[in-house]
Parts: sequence; structure tokens; C-alpha cells
Amino acid sequence: MVKKQLELLVALQDLDMMIREVEDVKQLGFETPSLDKLEKAREELREKIGKPLYATYERLKARYKRAIVPVKDDTCLGCFMRLPTSLAARGREDAEVITCENCGRILYWLE
Amino acid sequence: MTREELARLFSEQRFIVPMRAKNKDEVLEELLDTFVREGLIRNRAIVLEMLHKRESLGSTGIGKGVAIPHGRSTAVPDVSIAFGRSAAPIDFDSIDGKPAQLFFMVLAPPQELNSRYLPALGRLVELVNESKNRKRLLAAESFAEFVAVIKGEE
Ligand SMILES: [Zn+2]
Repeated sequence: MVKKQLELLVALQDLDMMIREVEDVKQLGFETPSLDKLEKAREELREKIGKPLYATYERLKARYKRAIVPVKDDTCLGCFMRLPTSLAARGREDAEVITCENCGRILYWLE
Repeated sequence: MTREELARLFSEQRFIVPMRAKNKDEVLEELLDTFVREGLIRNRAIVLEMLHKRESLGSTGIGKGVAIPHGRSTAVPDVSIAFGRSAAPIDFDSIDGKPAQLFFMVLAPPQELNSRYLPALGRLVELVNESKNRKRLLAAESFAEFVAVIKGEE
């Protein structure tokens, strides 16, 4: 089960992506009758995440489209700025929400 | 997307014939685990949850014995596909009510520069809609044979 704050945020971004693409996958031949279930799941996630963090997510999403961006080779793939190496070990734990010092996006370590 | 390009999104490590899964949930997990074993996905729980949410939107069982579970996740680094075939048909809540035997799992990051996700999905749907291809996929015994079908080689 997904439970850490960062994991909840990632789940929220994944869900937003899915909701945005419903029409596209429908055109490819997939049936998507239960959009309301996704909206409900989104509401639940929003409550679990809590107001301040959710507000940060929405603010970043409005500005950049993607609030959470991957980190590769110690580089934020949102703005391509190099991050301090000391962050990487903490980032991989998924235990805290770490943002890019340069662009403010929420960071997610893929490896 | 050409069938050649589509074929490149598969790998032998993500080819399971026959599958061990006995039900829909096990199908999702068995396919997902091929990505995890290959080291492509660090957080399995996040991606599994995304796949379950996708299924709650409507089954990805597109009928004729085929299911194509798919989705984008922030926890996925690149577009890639896994294929599995079960010896016996498995109930997948498909739109035609019939069980499925051929399973493709398509995973992608939220956004990728050359946007191959939707074209790959579309190409795959097109391919399995041809009964000739489905027959060959049901008979393929090796990854090489499988790839030949995807590429459209005789
Ligand atoms: Zn940045």
C-alpha cells in the first residue's frame, strides 16, 4: 500500500494523468465507463495528503504541468540543475518530500 | 509508430510463457514483477496501485482473449512493454465477457519527449485485432518467434 507523503503525491499525479488521458485511450478502443471512481479516489488522496502539501502540488502543477519530476544522475529533470549528492540517499527513501532548490518542483528518484 | 519500433519496446526478460497467474490480480503482479526484476521500477507499490486504479476505470480486457493493462506513472522511467501468455484462459472482466489468454502490460512515464506511449498502445490494439496475429501469438514458443509476429515477419 502507498502511504508515505511522497508516494501519495506520486499516486495523485498518476491519477491526474489518467483522468487527463481518458479520452485518448477511449479512442484507441478501451472502455472507460467509471471516471467517477477515479474522481472519488482523487478526493480520498487529496484528504490524505492534507491542505498545505496539496496546495503546493496544485501550485506547481499550474505552473509547470508536472509537479513531480524524476531525478537522474543527481540532476532535476525539470530544470536540469545538478542537485547536491547528499540529497540522493535521503531522496531514495521516499520518506520526505524534497523539492528542487532551483525550480521548486517535487523530486522523485527513479533509481 | 512502425511495428519494428513497437518490437523494440519488448524484452526477453519481460516475456513470460506460460504465466503462473490464475486470476486478474496475479496477472497484473506477474507482469509488473518482470519490470521490477529488470530494475526498471524502484517502487512496485506505486505502480501496482496505478494499474489497479486504471482497471477500476474500466477493464483493459479488450475482448477476443486479449488484455492490455496500461498506464503512466511517475515511478516509471521509460516506455516499455511486457508480454505474458497463460496456458488456460483467465477471467479479466473483459468487455466481451470472455476470459483472456494474451496479456500485454504497457508502462510509461508521465511525459516523454518522443511520446511513444499512445502510439504504441494504438499499434498494439491494431495488431491484436487481426485474428491471424492472435493465432500466431498463441502459438509462439520463444521470444524470437514472438518478436517476429510483432514485427509482422512471416
Ligand atoms: Zn529543478
